[in-house]
Amino acid sequence: MPKEKPESFQQRWLSGYTLGAIGILSTFMIIIFSTVFMPMVLFRPSPSGRGNDYTVEQVADAHRGRQIYVREGCFYCHTQFTRLQDRGYGPLVQAGDYNYETPHQLGTARTGPDLTNEGGRMSSQWQKAHLVNPRALKPGSIMPSFSFLSDRDMNDLVAYIQSLGNKRTSKNFVEAPDEYRDTTDHGKALLDRKTTGKEAVDTNSSAAANAGRGIYTQNCAVCHGLEGWGNGPNAISLEKKPANFSRPFYKQYPDEFWFYRISEGVPGTRMPRFGEILSEQQRWYLVAYLKTLQKDQEVVISKIDQLNKAEQVKLPVLTDQQYEPHTGE
Amino acid sequence: MGAGLFAAAEFAMPDLVHNVPQLSMPHLRMWHVNGVAIGWLSMGYVGAMFHMIPTLCKTRLWSERLGNFSMWAWNLVMVGAFCTLLNGNTEGREYAELGAILDVLVALDLILILYNVYRTILNRRVQKLYVSLWYFLGSLFWFPLVYLIGQRTFVALPGLNDAIVGWFYGHNILGMWFTTVGVGMMYYLLPRLTQAPLYSHGLSMLGFWGIALFYAPTGTHHILQSPVPEWLKAIAVISSIFLLVPVLTVLTNFFMTMKGKWGMVVTDLPLRFAVTSACFYLVTCVQGPFQATRWVNWYLHFSQWVVGHAHLALLGTFSFILTSAFYYSLPRLTGRDWYSQGLIRAHYWLKFLGFLLMMTSLTIAGLVQAAGWAFGVPIDQWSLQIRPYWFLRELSGIMIVLGQLIFAYNAYKSFYTSEPAVVLVKPAPGKTQEVKA
Ligand code: HEC
Ligand code: HEC
Repeated sequence: MPKEKPESFQQRWLSGYTLGAIGILSTFMIIIFSTVFMPMVLFRPSPSGRGNDYTVEQVADAHRGRQIYVREGCFYCHTQFTRLQDRGYGPLVQAGDYNYETPHQLGTARTGPDLTNEGGRMSSQWQKAHLVNPRALKPGSIMPSFSFLSDRDMNDLVAYIQSLGNKRTSKNFVEAPDEYRDTTDHGKALLDRKTTGKEAVDTNSSAAANAGRGIYTQNCAVCHGLEGWGNGPNAISLEKKPANFSRPFYKQYPDEFWFYRISEGVPGTRMPRFGEILSEQQRWYLVAYLKTLQKDQEVVISKIDQLNKAEQVKLPVLTDQQYEPHTGE
Repeated sequence: MGAGLFAAAEFAMPDLVHNVPQLSMPHLRMWHVNGVAIGWLSMGYVGAMFHMIPTLCKTRLWSERLGNFSMWAWNLVMVGAFCTLLNGNTEGREYAELGAILDVLVALDLILILYNVYRTILNRRVQKLYVSLWYFLGSLFWFPLVYLIGQRTFVALPGLNDAIVGWFYGHNILGMWFTTVGVGMMYYLLPRLTQAPLYSHGLSMLGFWGIALFYAPTGTHHILQSPVPEWLKAIAVISSIFLLVPVLTVLTNFFMTMKGKWGMVVTDLPLRFAVTSACFYLVTCVQGPFQATRWVNWYLHFSQWVVGHAHLALLGTFSFILTSAFYYSLPRLTGRDWYSQGLIRAHYWLKFLGFLLMMTSLTIAGLVQAAGWAFGVPIDQWSLQIRPYWFLRELSGIMIVLGQLIFAYNAYKSFYTSEPAVVLVKPAPGKTQEVKA
């Protein structure tokens, strides 16, 4: 029997098997390095001042509420980040908003609405009642009832809900979402198209307001009324009445906000989304017109005969002949 | 090991019905996810590996006592998980809910298993490593690491970094563990069940390294629309799309191996499970990269569509291949034939149809939801419209659990009453396992 040769270094350590193990590990390490450790070093947003800092004593209550939020797993159904396309959920989030959010509660699925800016949206009473019996307040809701929470837990949880996005609310009450303002590329492009180019509209000119008036009568008067007092013929059938543009309150609305409302409607009301119906230019004309409607004193509509009358529409008499499908002869 | 497997089955299956929306759902959901991921699939995987690896190496498991010990330890962890999660003792990190002690136990257990397997492979009596071994080894190297990094038990990262690491883990428990072991099992089972050689060893290696390379960095595609850095999103999206390459390589290999053997699925039940799994794998892996692109993600994210996708992967693909492994290996381990072929058939159909129903209802519900969120329609206006799909999903859950109960019953009966198997081809490696069952 021939004597066995001692294994060389290569044979021993660089055989397929060990080499494979090394390969497996090193590939993986490189990936971990680039996608796990590199972000930790490179991605360090400074606090934006818009997220809640739970380490500060004053919000200790909400801090405990947050632990209950985590414990009860609310994040399986609720997300906590607003995206560009999320309407009616308030301002967009920024990277620096999350510095104190550990463990993160970004969430994965929206079985229920986004809660990023939920704070202050409803009263604490409402929130509490909703947690105890969601279906009493929102028929058809599939949010589970959390009636098993103790009083203290419930109060803390509601304190936490009410703290969500508090610092993110804009000082100006009527701020349009970021994508309508010059803080984002999207918004900048939009405002550029408004001020320059062949579609430009000067929303302060009376020419534009006049153009807007026609569009208004055709599309909006049925609800908002001919004069914009919220007294269109349709108003009678609406649970949430159309806005009355004579209110002095509307004087503070900036153009972008009007534009945003017209484009996206008002969530939770019958106000339609005209973004898909009217062109951008038409919507800017409407803005110009709406801005002329405010008065020093709101015109109060309190009686039914103050509603605009609707002319009875004369429909053609239906006869079998008239609407018989063509036979192709 | 059989005991471990069944404990796993019994553990994890009841909660597949977690989908009664009106129950206090979040706690159940934690338990559901962990039960399925750590309990059912992981334990089943380890069980299957303990059978397949010695067989492939033509040797015995390095230490059976250690194997047994890890099995019991794992079961203990699951008991702990059951008690804590249902009480809401959670870390609040999706897929990583288990508390600190349990985390450490799982990781230790995994390392023990790795050591055991590693020694077994060193003892092997064949020169070449079959591709399944590559997959198993790779997974066992990766998974403890992924797991440890992913748990973030002892570190408190600021919010978004927490999310980045969280999704690195969330996706790689799938990519570097469920997928790799699952695919390894398919490589083991398909040639054996069809008695045809693997179509190409070269392709299989290509698939292996492709998965290793492209799977790991994809995690961030779960938070594509949050304010995490753009470069990270770009890496995630690109590698998600590149994943199509290894996946299609792997599947080509499978389907070419099946060539001329398709008829066998009619009579060979384990094979039927395996082939179903491969087909669902194709669907998942085409769906996945497509969802990871920005525009599709823009629309579909946050909806039940994604939940459907997750079930397609874990239930449709990996659960089916695991079941196939059970049906294939248990007779070889215990030396007893299956108690009833009819029950296997029933299991298959319940699981298959149940799953299809679940997938369809979730996908449709997801489309309704996606439209609602994307166009800003308030939830009150459409929550009633997706109600029928919740009920359908409920029904599908019941079917699947029923199937699983039949499976458990069948296995129980086979252990204690059925005839010694005739199918037994290679009793030797199986022998080592028998002691444990
Ligand atoms: C099964 C999924 C689910 C879980 C879990 C869940 N919710 Fe909800 N939630 C919903 C749904 C669906 C709605 C929308 C219908 C409604 O308002 O009830 C909702 C609505 C809400 C709203 C009202 C939002 C608004 O502005 O209209 C709040 C606040 C809320 N949930 C808080 C919580 C909290 C806090 C928890 C954890 C204790 C929680 N939710 C757990 C599904 C869920
Ligand atoms: C189907 C009826 C309907 C039509 C048509 C309609 N609106 Fe409205 N509008 C409403 C309702 C209802 C509200 C909600 C008032 C509220 O916030 O409670 C509203 C609110 C608004 C607001 C927001 C006011 C605020 O408080 O911020 C603006 C701006 C507006 N409408 C403009 C328009 C314009 C411009 C048109 C035509 C292009 C139009 N609406 C057509 C029903 C309608």
